[in-house]
Amino acid sequence: MPPGDKPPIFSSWNTWYILVLLFLVVLITGFCLFTNYFS
Amino acid sequence: MSTADWIVLAVSLCAIIAYGLYKSSATKNLDGYFLSNRTMPWYLVLLSIMGTQASAVTFLSAPGQAYTDGMRFVQYYFGLPLAMIILCISFVPIFHRLKVYTAYEFLESRFDLKTRTLTSLLFLLQRGVSTGISIYAPAIILSSLLGWNIYLTNAFMGGLLIIYTVSGGAKAVAYTQQLQMIIIFSGMLMAGYMVVHLLPPGVGFVDALRVGGKMGKLNVITTGVSGNGFNWNDRYNIWSGLIGGFFLALSYFGTDQSQVGRYLTAKSLSESRIGLLMNGLVKVPMQFFILLIGVLVFTFYQFHPAPFFFNQVQVNKMANTPYRDSMQLMQLKYDLLTKKKSVAVAKWVSATRAQQGEEKAEANLKLLNRQTEEIRSDFTRLISKSKVGGDSNDTNYIFLRFVIDYLPKGLVGLLIAVIFLAAWGSIAASLNSLASSTVVDIHLKFVRRDASPEADYSISKWYTFAWGVFSIVIAMFATNMGSLIEAVNVLGSLFYGVILGVFLVAFYVKQVKGNAVFISAVMVEAAIVLLFWKSAIGFLWLNAIGALGVVAVAMLLQLLTGKKNGNPDGLPQ
Repeated sequence: MPPGDKPPIFSSWNTWYILVLLFLVVLITGFCLFTNYFS
Repeated sequence: MSTADWIVLAVSLCAIIAYGLYKSSATKNLDGYFLSNRTMPWYLVLLSIMGTQASAVTFLSAPGQAYTDGMRFVQYYFGLPLAMIILCISFVPIFHRLKVYTAYEFLESRFDLKTRTLTSLLFLLQRGVSTGISIYAPAIILSSLLGWNIYLTNAFMGGLLIIYTVSGGAKAVAYTQQLQMIIIFSGMLMAGYMVVHLLPPGVGFVDALRVGGKMGKLNVITTGVSGNGFNWNDRYNIWSGLIGGFFLALSYFGTDQSQVGRYLTAKSLSESRIGLLMNGLVKVPMQFFILLIGVLVFTFYQFHPAPFFFNQVQVNKMANTPYRDSMQLMQLKYDLLTKKKSVAVAKWVSATRAQQGEEKAEANLKLLNRQTEEIRSDFTRLISKSKVGGDSNDTNYIFLRFVIDYLPKGLVGLLIAVIFLAAWGSIAASLNSLASSTVVDIHLKFVRRDASPEADYSISKWYTFAWGVFSIVIAMFATNMGSLIEAVNVLGSLFYGVILGVFLVAFYVKQVKGNAVFISAVMVEAAIVLLFWKSAIGFLWLNAIGALGVVAVAMLLQLLTGKKNGNPDGLPQ
């Protein structure tokens, strides 16, 4: 990454990593609940 | 098709062509034609990326996939969001900083001209043939189900989009993809609504999901672990999705010019990044929705008689072979079972509501479904045995057959337009990227280096047209070669790994220089072809072997030679 390069919207790429990991956790948990509820 | 369907289809296709021509006012130079003067906002970049990735087969095959195998295919995209972050941090800023037209240009500044030329030639070979198959794949399905002439369907599928792609370049591609995505999602939403609407009275959306769930079609998350431990042959599970999907997305979005060319049209680095990051967030829900339609179609066919084989052309072909009697016997058994199934599912719904005898009704329904699936599998094997040729993969025909048989007039036309538009979105982006790589990486380097911007613009249009004609010719030849779709997937796997390997070395192994990576790429490519030719290794593994092979051999060669040629960062010095 070039020096001084900033990610969009947030000030750090770590925030993007956390956001995406949270997104995946919520998504996968939601899918698990969905599968279990209807099976 | 009814007159109303023809009108809806014609209006939709003409609207896209007219809109593409209206938006064709590109500046007459390479920047205007291939990068739309780098003026696109992030939401157009997002729609363009999505429109390029989602081909016609995505919308035809995914509901069929859910019908036969359940929703676990969605896990394939779990690695995508993380890959988007890695791309935004490493690949995208360098492409923007160097102001490149193609991804392969960067390889010249990082390594040398020969490495750039090799990777762009590998891309052109693979993408050129696969674009032809992108025309043929939906054309064969439409021609089979609607009785259209395959050659004319190929010509319409691949020919009409050439008008606006040649005329307007990247700008026309991006704007038409925006309109195409709106029509595609409207059509799919209406189809989803209609499936539920066509269920028997008293059976609603939640009941439909319950039937799908009980029959194992809502298997969104699977671990790939069975009684014998982890199954490495299981294609779709959470681990293959997170790990395999990550590398696949990194390779496709980072090194395939058809995608790189989309996000390079953004007006800034930040807009490119937002487009890619948003794609990572919306792709999984979008795919979930498309697969859910497939589950609803499956539930619909529990209450209504499902065709014995959705591709009627294959059934007709089999009727003229010595296997005709075997087929008719299978069909009789199947029809009997489907009648029993519609009674069994109604009993199951009643039992669930009464909360009495639910388990027995469920077991009966599962047994009947298993028996019908076994007959369908037996018939597929009979087709292979009979050697009648044609497309024996029935999955791709399920959704469109449902649309044609059950949806109202007008909506059938709209959904056929959806198939055309989805195909056009990805084919137009492919033609634009093929032309940009041919002009920038080959023509301006080896044929004519000092042409005027107007001459470059003019030759770019001709190359776009030539690649369009080439793709249609490939589609016409594919008509006589039923197995070519799989052959193109194999072809992609033969080259994708090596291209990704070269880019991984470029970004992450700074000490490796041009000669080492070039020799490594040639050696590993030869080894991959030999490996595929000589052994029975699954072709998906060739991607990983190619990428890791290039990195390992390049590092070894660099260590042995110790020579230094090249620019460690690939950035201006």
